[in-house]
Amino acid sequence: MAVSALNTSHEAVAARYQNVDGAYAEQRDMRLMGFVLFLISDVVLFSAFIFAYLYLRNSVPNWPPINKDGVQLPRFDVAFAAINSCVLFGSGATMHFAMENWKHLNKAAFNMWMLATIVLGMTFLGGQAYEYHSVQVTWSGSTMGATFFTLTGMHGFHVLVGVIYLIVLYIQANRGVYTGSKYFGLTAGTLYWHFVDVIWVALFYLFYLM
Amino acid sequence: MAATLERGVALILALIVGGTTSFQLYKDWSSTGLDNQVTKLLLGLMAFGCVLVVLAAVGVLGGG
Repeated sequence: MAVSALNTSHEAVAARYQNVDGAYAEQRDMRLMGFVLFLISDVVLFSAFIFAYLYLRNSVPNWPPINKDGVQLPRFDVAFAAINSCVLFGSGATMHFAMENWKHLNKAAFNMWMLATIVLGMTFLGGQAYEYHSVQVTWSGSTMGATFFTLTGMHGFHVLVGVIYLIVLYIQANRGVYTGSKYFGLTAGTLYWHFVDVIWVALFYLFYLM
Repeated sequence: MAATLERGVALILALIVGGTTSFQLYKDWSSTGLDNQVTKLLLGLMAFGCVLVVLAAVGVLGGG
């Protein structure tokens, strides 16, 4: 039993996942379904705001729109946003590595990749703060500013909550809350972080490339 | 000059992250279970995001 518990092959990972007691497995599956439904509801939330952005954008003859002084607003900085996007996508990769290392009972590597994810997430937020400071639109000055700050602000809030969540998970994991076979909190955190990444894919295209 | 440097950095990072994400997706392709299926979907979309960054960095998208 002790030898198989230390086995870190993919088969052992799957076996540990499946060989938990029935009550926990049922609870875990229900939690997972509930969490996926929550993510779907968050997708609906973002979809509503994205629809509003597309509607407003298509209702004006020029984009970027022309401000009240008759000057067309500049486009957002694609290059900086591209780097910031890579930071966020990279954090998704490090989160995946953290999760894989946890499943394979490599706690030191898990800690390293988890910290990397947290740092990258905070770096992304810093990049957003810099962009908010340097962008030449305001929330109330135009539909471009209103939609930009609303959507990216909502996304940034999700990232902030995600960073806090990851810090809590890191502390919990190091306090022994999770084991090699019972780690739903980590699974939920990973899914949430990937979701936050994917929402940014949509926002990056809509605001910077379209 | 700064914009060119930024685009270059973005291109390199996107290739690294996109390649890593795609490789992880390939490795985990045969995994089962709802959480793994959702993870695969999200990894795939992240790799697509890196493709968008590459296209933006080389000027194909985003008004070059």
